[in-house]
Amino acid sequence: MSNVAEPAPEDRKLSAAAVQVRTRFPVARIKKIMQADDDIGKVAQATPLVVAKALELFMISLVQESCDQARLRNAKRVSPAHLKQAVLNTEQFDFLADTVSKYPDPVAVPGEKEPGPGRGRRRKTAE
Amino acid sequence: MSDRENSSEDLSLPKATVQKIVSEIIPSDLVFSRDARDALIECCVEFIGLISTQANDIAENETKKTIASEHVIKALQELGFSDYIEPIREVILEHKESQKGRERKIGKFEASGMTEEELLRKQEELFGLARSKLQHDEAL
Repeated sequence: MSNVAEPAPEDRKLSAAAVQVRTRFPVARIKKIMQADDDIGKVAQATPLVVAKALELFMISLVQESCDQARLRNAKRVSPAHLKQAVLNTEQFDFLADTVSKYPDPVAVPGEKEPGPGRGRRRKTAE
Repeated sequence: MSDRENSSEDLSLPKATVQKIVSEIIPSDLVFSRDARDALIECCVEFIGLISTQANDIAENETKKTIASEHVIKALQELGFSDYIEPIREVILEHKESQKGRERKIGKFEASGMTEEELLRKQEELFGLARSKLQHDEAL
């Protein structure tokens, strides 16, 4: 049973809110990942829980954008190239530009110029 | 990178959990390739690092030694993720509610204002009273 509708791009915000993820991230693991950085000291009890929620929202967003990129290219399998384009297209994901640079470039969408940073297409900025 | 027991390779998100979450998100006609899932995990770990570092800086600026939820919220705002803040406030509320439930259980003892000794003495006193009352009632 899927809670996810098939939204048009304009309904992006609606569908992100509609997605209910039941599976939880392991909170202890998140805390470990945080503290793997020596600069990070103590964290309050609620903090890894809060980061887990932020991560869930981030994942929903990135996965949905990647799916859009796959659809644009009539692909049934979402690949790292689609993720890469999703990152390059979304201002919120600028911090991932380096991380995705090693992924292959996606094929050009029919009727468009070469893929790459396409800020004009879909900006997701904070309100 | 670090001398800890767990090398930084082990410190990632569990693949099965991520896969489960992905399948809850994507429409039924699409599939996430294994490479895409691994790439996603990489991005997630980057995200955690980004938020943690920013929240840590904010906490340090307030000369706090512990990173609190409020620091994470400020970090999200500064990094352009303000749309995440409302759902996160709900998580914080739920957490506070569950904490309250726990504290109520030990509240009685602390609320009595007496030390354990005083409470024991009081208990003996009450037993003594009850005993004498019982004997009195039996005598009747």
